[in-house]
Amino acid sequence: MKKNNKKTLIIAAVVLVALLAAFACVYMVFGPKAHKGSKEIVIEVTGSNGETTDYELATDAEYLIEAMDELAANGSGFTYSGSDGDYGMMIEIVNGERALYAEDNAYWALYVNGEYGQYGADSQPVADGDTYSWTYEFAQ
Amino acid sequence: MIGIMVAVIEVSKFILSGMPNIELTSFWLIMFTLTFGWKVALLVPVLILLEGTLYGMHIWWIMYLYAWPLLVLIAWIFRRNTSPVLWAIISGTFGLCFGALCSIPYFFIGLSSGGLSAGFRSMVTWWIAGIPWDLIHCAGNFVLMLVLYHPISKVMRRVRNLPPEN
Repeated sequence: MKKNNKKTLIIAAVVLVALLAAFACVYMVFGPKAHKGSKEIVIEVTGSNGETTDYELATDAEYLIEAMDELAANGSGFTYSGSDGDYGMMIEIVNGERALYAEDNAYWALYVNGEYGQYGADSQPVADGDTYSWTYEFAQ
Repeated sequence: MIGIMVAVIEVSKFILSGMPNIELTSFWLIMFTLTFGWKVALLVPVLILLEGTLYGMHIWWIMYLYAWPLLVLIAWIFRRNTSPVLWAIISGTFGLCFGALCSIPYFFIGLSSGGLSAGFRSMVTWWIAGIPWDLIHCAGNFVLMLVLYHPISKVMRRVRNLPPEN
């Protein structure tokens, strides 16, 4: 291997390792944090007809998807399904109502305490007292 | 030739669609750039337009407008290198930074609703939440390039009637 190529290779490897370390640190320090312990939360579902159904849940779930699984399993009538996307689970059907972006020109939006959610269901931390709202929204 | 290249990318994408963030688009764009040089600049707009037509022109499509051309530019800059390890590092680094690149539109979404700080918060929060997926993207790109570089490079040089690499 030529000397220049070797030098480029070493520099590139160092850059990649440095970036990996930096990204991992950023995620550990600033990434979504889950809280352990019993939490009282509300999961709301607002369908395309504008009607809202509330579900109260006491849970130890760290992430919203776990709380949704608990809610679906405890006979509340809440159901959901989705598919794995590049950045986590995409919720596609809630309480039997489908919102597929490509086919229905609509999607299930997640609001946390009334504000547009920054995370997907599988990375949204669950905090005591929070309200998580799944809202059927038409694409613009 | 552009049609064949786009078809190769799309078929690879379809085959790997069940494995989140494991993709061959980066690999093929790099290999096509190394083999066909600047002519790949004609492939990228066709690919992006086709993707938009097939899957809809949503926010990820805006990300593609600059992410893939950037990868082609990087591959063109380093085109004289023939080390599979170096290309694996470049492809892996691109995969690692893909989330950061793709977070840029979220700055403008946040900016439009809550000003500059909301723009930065929206962009950074989105990027950080996706870091685990970027790590998978990095590992996938690295391994795929390391494994496939030599066999595919050999075939492509034969297609172009180029002498084998040293």
